[in-house]
Amino acid sequence: MERADLTTPLASGALAGAPAEIDEVDLVPVRTYWQMVRERFMQHRLAVMSLVILAVLIVFSIAVPALTGDAYRRSNLAYVDAGPSLTAPLGYNEIGQNQSVALMKATQNSLIIGFVSVLIIGSIGSLVGSIAGYAGGWVDNLLMRAVDVVLSLPFFFLILIIVAFFGVGDVRVIIIAIGITGWTVAARLVRAEFLRIREADYVQAARALGVGHRRIIVRHMLPSAMAPLVVACALGVADAIITEAALSYLGFGIARPEPSLGNMLNNAREYFYANPERIFYPGILLILLVLCASFLGDGLRDALDPRQKVKA
Amino acid sequence: MTGDNGRFATPGGDLLGIEDLRTYFYTRDGVVKAVDGVSFVIGNGRTLGLVGESGCGKSITALSVMRLIERPGRIETGAIRLGDLDLLALDEEQMRGVRGARISMIFQEPMTSLNPVFTCGDQISEAITVHESIGRTEASERTIEMLAQVGIPDAKRRAHEYPHQLSGGMRQRVMIAMALSTHPELLIADEPTTALDVTIQAQILELMKELRERNRMAIMLITHDLGVIAEMADDVVVMYAGKVVEQADAFTVFERSHHPYTRGLLASIPRLGVKRERLEVIRGVVPNPLNLPAGCLFKRRCAYAMAICDNPPPFREVADGHLSRCWLTPAGEPPSVGAEADPETAAAAAAELSMEA
Amino acid sequence: MTTYVMRRIIQAIPIVFGISILIFLIVQLAPGDPTDRFRTPRVRPETIANLIRLYGLDRPLPEQYFSWITAFFQVWRVECWGYSLKTGEPVRDMIFGRLPNTALLMGTAEIVTILFAIPIGIVAAVKQYSLLDKVISVFATIGYAIPSFILGIYVMYFGGVVLGWFPLFGMQSLGKSGEPLDIAWHLVLPVTSLAIQSIAGWARYVRTSMLETMHQDYVRTARAKGLAGSRVIGKHALRNALLPVVTLLGLALPSLVAGAVITESIFSYPGIGSLTINSVTANDFPVIYAVGMLVGIFVILGNLLADVLYGLVDPRIKY
Repeated sequence: MERADLTTPLASGALAGAPAEIDEVDLVPVRTYWQMVRERFMQHRLAVMSLVILAVLIVFSIAVPALTGDAYRRSNLAYVDAGPSLTAPLGYNEIGQNQSVALMKATQNSLIIGFVSVLIIGSIGSLVGSIAGYAGGWVDNLLMRAVDVVLSLPFFFLILIIVAFFGVGDVRVIIIAIGITGWTVAARLVRAEFLRIREADYVQAARALGVGHRRIIVRHMLPSAMAPLVVACALGVADAIITEAALSYLGFGIARPEPSLGNMLNNAREYFYANPERIFYPGILLILLVLCASFLGDGLRDALDPRQKVKA
Repeated sequence: MTGDNGRFATPGGDLLGIEDLRTYFYTRDGVVKAVDGVSFVIGNGRTLGLVGESGCGKSITALSVMRLIERPGRIETGAIRLGDLDLLALDEEQMRGVRGARISMIFQEPMTSLNPVFTCGDQISEAITVHESIGRTEASERTIEMLAQVGIPDAKRRAHEYPHQLSGGMRQRVMIAMALSTHPELLIADEPTTALDVTIQAQILELMKELRERNRMAIMLITHDLGVIAEMADDVVVMYAGKVVEQADAFTVFERSHHPYTRGLLASIPRLGVKRERLEVIRGVVPNPLNLPAGCLFKRRCAYAMAICDNPPPFREVADGHLSRCWLTPAGEPPSVGAEADPETAAAAAAELSMEA
Repeated sequence: MTTYVMRRIIQAIPIVFGISILIFLIVQLAPGDPTDRFRTPRVRPETIANLIRLYGLDRPLPEQYFSWITAFFQVWRVECWGYSLKTGEPVRDMIFGRLPNTALLMGTAEIVTILFAIPIGIVAAVKQYSLLDKVISVFATIGYAIPSFILGIYVMYFGGVVLGWFPLFGMQSLGKSGEPLDIAWHLVLPVTSLAIQSIAGWARYVRTSMLETMHQDYVRTARAKGLAGSRVIGKHALRNALLPVVTLLGLALPSLVAGAVITESIFSYPGIGSLTINSVTANDFPVIYAVGMLVGIFVILGNLLADVLYGLVDPRIKY
């Protein structure tokens, strides 16, 4: 069988000195993981818009109360039910409080509660989930039973009871209540990821090298579990904001004169007929906050998901 | 005389003719020319092996024949003829009449290619009843018959089982049964044995040979495994980066291959009993489809690359019924202009040579 | 299958006990006790002490827990769940009285949801990338994100005030008792409010499931067999896509009992949800215990139902 010998250059020397490396243009341009994440995120116009809107709201919710001090709770009887003016674009309510300032303060409260409680949820959830997922066996079993018990009661029900009993109107109690009921979801998520990657080669390799458990968990496994956790947290912020608003609406959360989107809505109910706009601005702002957090979560999910199918 | 429309010896006449098929994918990063000017012919009852590395366009060629290309892909131009019928001119309903009835296709992964919530028997019967108006009982009977034909023991019981209850080899047999239940003229098999282990592979190939005999069916066998080609194929088409680089009957391709790529593939097959220090490889990597080199697509990996290779080589006959896309003469020598020629002379010579072909 | 169910029920028992302990502890830890409202300056300490003895509040905690939990499951006895601290009614009767109302409300909302969400989800998936799909997606996200009480208020505003077509509260008009048409009329607004959110969530779920299914290999095989597009989608893809949706049905079971706390409250609907709010506000512990336990048990049952349903429809699952 005659075959060309492809390893020796032609006698004519055409290939004398020809390099054997791969030509650069053959390689697809390399982008780092984070660059790809950013690219994918930027494609989500809604998510980007949400990020911007959220940023603006955050700025306003910090700036306005900082600049106006405790104006939000001061009731000036001269302005009872007054209409919109330059310093009060949304007018005043029935006890003379500047609604726009109150709205911003309420937003601030919502955002604080949202972010802090999610922080708690994320921390406890990662801790429990990673231990359960990594250790397996009876530790996993025990922790998951505990999670099951907490998950068996509807969140709102539990939170309601906790807040009602331990501190109606106390922001700290609300945050803690949301935190200690919500961590279960995060724990399940992290645990699932850990179970999945526990048998991955790179984890085995680390173990074989004698790397300690804590380091393996923190440095090698946790980053992989971060993606779904981050998405869950974004959506969790939305949930926390809704929960706080619902509690305040029902009278168990932040109470007057401290403003909350929820109690402003409750208050507005009496004015259905007289001043219907009062049910709109807190409601719309709340919807806006929640929507932005949700779209942000969606965008993050699509951006961080490594299983993106690119049809080429 | 023969031009680009390759002609093997086809004693029984042509069943499927593909002429200058171009299927492009419009992606966000650019246009990927997955199939770029492919032409070949499958004779009645002949088995054609379509060989090439992953990503060379062989699967897309098959899917183009079936007209199963989806967004962002599109069949740009070309002609696909089944007997006298121009497949690209049919409307969707007519094409459905061809799919599964005159041309059947089986795929690589039998586990995911069968619907997990329907029984095997149901899925086979469905293939029959879609094309022929026969009753359920008759369809069932034919199903069981087919299952027996493909070598599944206890066919009657197995027909009521679900895909997950069968082993990989059996599932592929079910796929084959489903494909052949309508007695198609052409079977397209896309890597049918790649996902199976070696012993099962042999069984499936035997089965296909047997059925091929019995039904006098043509087969388009797509694979990257030259061993399978050697077993099954009458004719061979070698593809690289969306183009056909060599085609001939199987014997010629194995014994007297011309194109450096084909020869590289053959050289890289490890051989039992031969002592070597290192395996032969074709150096380099397949070109980035978004950034194809000018001229011959293989030049960067070719030991024979010359200046003239910066011009696209003609696809011409190097022997009777044997075509190759290369500047080398049929004897394997550099063309008359010489290997040393500078780019301009080479380009001029290229233009001249192309016109001759 | 029956062994599986048995096994799950046995596994559920410790969780039920866990829930009962959790609720018991939370309530016990709360500052104050049921006798709080009697502690006015005019009431003598001895009376309070007698009350405490009467309610059994001075017994050791484990004993209190034990007597409570054993009584709980004896549902045939009227006093099994204690008596309301607010109204003195047997808690069992209070709950049983409201249960049908909540079930009616939630059940109707559930059916409406399924009727709308599945077709919407399918259409959005089949026509992916089209304008229709984008519109549906955006609406679904918005509908899902709007908190239920805001939705409730706005639905109430538009339906009841602006349009004035529907009543704003209650389950039936005064004087009419049990008339189906009247009840239906009252249900429209709350059901709409609940359904909008539900449909948004389910439609997204169905759409995602459909999209995933549509890209599976067996769909390609079905097309290669020569099946028409509608058959490929309607038979091969749909059957697989609806599998996870079936589990949602099971998970909807607990809400039939728990009701929608906020929506019922907004519409003053006489169900378990509003009962929950009222009793929490009034520190009516026996009711809180009972509702909590009931809901917890149904959540567990709902999970079990979801798994059983999934096992029934997916031939790959073998219990």
